[in-house]
Amino acid sequence: MSKQIPLLREGEMPYQPISLGSMEWNKTGSWRYLRPRFENKIPPCNEGCPAGQDIEGALVLIGKGKYLEAWDLFKEENPFPGVCGRVCYHPCESSCNRGDFDEPLSINALERFMADMASKHRRKPPLKKREKRPEKVAVIGSGPAGLTCAYHLVRLGYGVTVFEALPVLGGMLRVGIPEYRLPKKVLGQEIDQILELGVKVEVNARLGNGLSLEDLKEYQAVFLALGNHKSRSLGISGEEAEGIMSGVEFLKDVNLGKKVELGKRVAVIGGGNTAVDAARAALRLGAKPLILYRRTREEMPAFASEVHEAEEEGIEISLLTSPVKVISQNGRAAQLECVKNRLGPPDEDGRRRPVEIKGSNCTIEVDQVISAIGEEADLSCLSKQVGIRDNTVPTDERGATKQAGVFAGGDIILQPHTVVHAIASGKRAAIFIDSHLRKENWEGLFEALRVGEKGSLSMKRYLQEERERVPLSGKTVLLKDLNLDYFEYQKRLKMPKAKSSRRTTSFEEVNLGFNEETAVEEARRCFNCGVCNLCDNCYIFCPDVAIQKGKEGELNIFDYDHCKGCGICMEECPRDVIVMEVEGR
Amino acid sequence: MKKIMVGNHAVSWGVMLARAEVVSAYPITPQTTIVEELSVLCADGRLKARFIPVESEHSAMACCIGSSAAGVRTFTATSSQGLALMHEMLHWATGARLPIVMANVNRALGSPFNIWGEQSDSLAQRDTGWLQIYCESNQEVLDTVLQSFKIAERVLLPVMLVLDAFILSHTAEPVDIPDHQLADEFLPPYRPDLRLNSKDPHIFACLAPPEYLMEFRYKIQQSMLQSKEVCRRVDEEFGKAFGRKYGLVEPYRCEGADLILVTAGSVTSTARVAVDALREKGRKVGLAKLRLFRPFPKEELLEITRGADKIAVLDRNFSAGIGGIFAHEIRAAFCNEKSHPPVYSYITGLGGRDTTLQNLNEVIYQTYERPRPEEQSVWVGLRS
Repeated sequence: MSKQIPLLREGEMPYQPISLGSMEWNKTGSWRYLRPRFENKIPPCNEGCPAGQDIEGALVLIGKGKYLEAWDLFKEENPFPGVCGRVCYHPCESSCNRGDFDEPLSINALERFMADMASKHRRKPPLKKREKRPEKVAVIGSGPAGLTCAYHLVRLGYGVTVFEALPVLGGMLRVGIPEYRLPKKVLGQEIDQILELGVKVEVNARLGNGLSLEDLKEYQAVFLALGNHKSRSLGISGEEAEGIMSGVEFLKDVNLGKKVELGKRVAVIGGGNTAVDAARAALRLGAKPLILYRRTREEMPAFASEVHEAEEEGIEISLLTSPVKVISQNGRAAQLECVKNRLGPPDEDGRRRPVEIKGSNCTIEVDQVISAIGEEADLSCLSKQVGIRDNTVPTDERGATKQAGVFAGGDIILQPHTVVHAIASGKRAAIFIDSHLRKENWEGLFEALRVGEKGSLSMKRYLQEERERVPLSGKTVLLKDLNLDYFEYQKRLKMPKAKSSRRTTSFEEVNLGFNEETAVEEARRCFNCGVCNLCDNCYIFCPDVAIQKGKEGELNIFDYDHCKGCGICMEECPRDVIVMEVEGR
Repeated sequence: MKKIMVGNHAVSWGVMLARAEVVSAYPITPQTTIVEELSVLCADGRLKARFIPVESEHSAMACCIGSSAAGVRTFTATSSQGLALMHEMLHWATGARLPIVMANVNRALGSPFNIWGEQSDSLAQRDTGWLQIYCESNQEVLDTVLQSFKIAERVLLPVMLVLDAFILSHTAEPVDIPDHQLADEFLPPYRPDLRLNSKDPHIFACLAPPEYLMEFRYKIQQSMLQSKEVCRRVDEEFGKAFGRKYGLVEPYRCEGADLILVTAGSVTSTARVAVDALREKGRKVGLAKLRLFRPFPKEELLEITRGADKIAVLDRNFSAGIGGIFAHEIRAAFCNEKSHPPVYSYITGLGGRDTTLQNLNEVIYQTYERPRPEEQSVWVGLRS
């Protein structure tokens, strides 16, 4: 028999329709079918940096005036923020979401700023290190790839020796980039910090010149980072005359402080960074350089800013011009015969090919010709075991060559020839040399260490115990993911530059760096894409007061007892930090 | 202290004297200056209330429901379309037994667009369970605000006091402002037993299943019926405190009358003049001013009109298909009585058109002439 429910009479009922019992038991969160969760995602700048630096994190710190802590964060991934803050082509900035909103953040200038502040305060980075290991690793070449690899390997506990062919360390950073772009003092400080970790070096030790891979048997692994130091020849008649030198040679001599006699009229052939650097260095030595480039400005591989600065300094560029012959007098180059070109159909790399205009020949009076039409590797010192194809060293996704225990990076492998890619390849090699020597499985490392989807890896994560690693979001936050109602247009701040009249007579630095005020203001333009910056919008907007304030500096807390899953917090989050997930039943 | 003030400010000053604690309203002509004055009184501290601006009348009433449920004396004001927009929430306030007081400035409902006086807006809310009191003068407006809070808080039903657009709302008259201390004695603070309390959470206005809804409705009906006696007693108390009282239905020169006019609102004053003039001429005409509309004061009106031959009801409103709403109510209220005078129904002054002495004389003579009321309401002053 069913049980009868006793109903109250009218007189026994309250005058208001109100529950007679307390409703404290009723956690209204039980109505929810979607559950919000904080999930930090990948900011596009971090993903865009091949060196995998936590740019967003550093910008937050700079915005709070914590410049040195920002620098520490960069140093976790890259030993060269001072160098990169000056010479990196900053793909982070082209990835910056503000670029599609107003103007990208001046990340490169801010990187330089924090490095300058660290230098000013003689900061030593508090680096995380692992316990010492018995194995030793040899690094061939002390450019950005080699030194980065050594830096991380030492932190991973290995004994590392760097072999450098030249009498000085730094590779192309030292001998390829002129003082006015990268002061030797800045480079020297960052190299010293690497050496202080216990990296050994042997200079004047050129592979193939009394040193071979066989001599390195005591090392359980080798990292090859020889760099591209050989200049391509022009392939025109009269090229062997006096008064013709390569851009690489010229810059090396200038950078090593040798006296170089140029004369007045200097023709620089090429459109890459080496050509522009050589022309600007020649200008500073008192010459009047003229850049000859066979295509148009659009095809010039040099950084646009460098080309612009060269022109500011009064350097002439003759476009659609190719040299065809060197005319010598008394065995020394005196005239350069050139032709004019027009642009033909695109070639394999997509750039339009120059086509010679018949009969357009002309001659230019020259005292010196500098050829800078590209550099290549000199791999004659390497044995066949390493495997060489098209004058590059083929590697797998780890940077490992065919020969067991031999890894390679920098310009000699197939990747863009930039400082930051060299640094990235050095870090990658350090990680996989470690896993190789520990005989550990490496396949899962790409997923565990990735910073976004473009191949950058995080050394910070690698140095963490697996269980310490925060789960990685699979999403990189783009402009469409942001709630733009919360952002205002704000002009990008730029570094001041030395006056061009002063620049032409000295090798002093061209870019002058941010002051503190500008740096903080610029850093605060950051949207913090995908990373909670404790703005409290969720806390303010929650209509059910179901978000509680976290402890000072920590994330807010969802009160799932009372959250109804309405999603307003997610909608109002300016930076796409909150995700809604289907409630588990 | 006497002050010259418009009817809308009389509302605002009444609210100040009542020490309302929350005011939430949305402006609409002709109500706007009530809210304006209240915001000034709140801003300069003469009224210590939280003034909550909202984006619509629906939100205004929802806001009032929340604050009243928290046990706080709450006021709002509106008119016409604004009142119509509140409709859903009006039922809610009654069902939740919240003693909210609202001033409604009578105004016609569109379309066509019209901002002038007409009683159709408040009468359309007849079935929402709100008490309704119609005022004749600015003094009565102020006094009725104080009375309304007292009535509402005793019977736990919301009260709507009604004043005519422009004729009262925007017309200045001398108003005697009660002493604040006396007003406090008349209207003590509102401290309900049941109110929102985060330390003792209950569901307010919870789900009532079929097993319980009828009982709640029955309680409202009982309270509404009892409220008539409460209205009478509060009016008595008010009279003792301030020397003015209004009654539920006010008889005017009804002694030995054979015809009694029934009016509500400011037209009553014009009717007083018409009655005086006809009495001079020896006509036995009287006037009953209907002040309370909900609950309907049937016994009081019946008592006043018992000896008369005819009742002529002036409706400044109309319900399509029925005609004058007051007349319809009176017929319905009297229909089970063994004998009552026949009810003549007249529609006048819609959309703010003046009801003149001439109109009133026409109504009175027509009522005398016709032996029986027309089936339908007669439209006075219609250009046909």
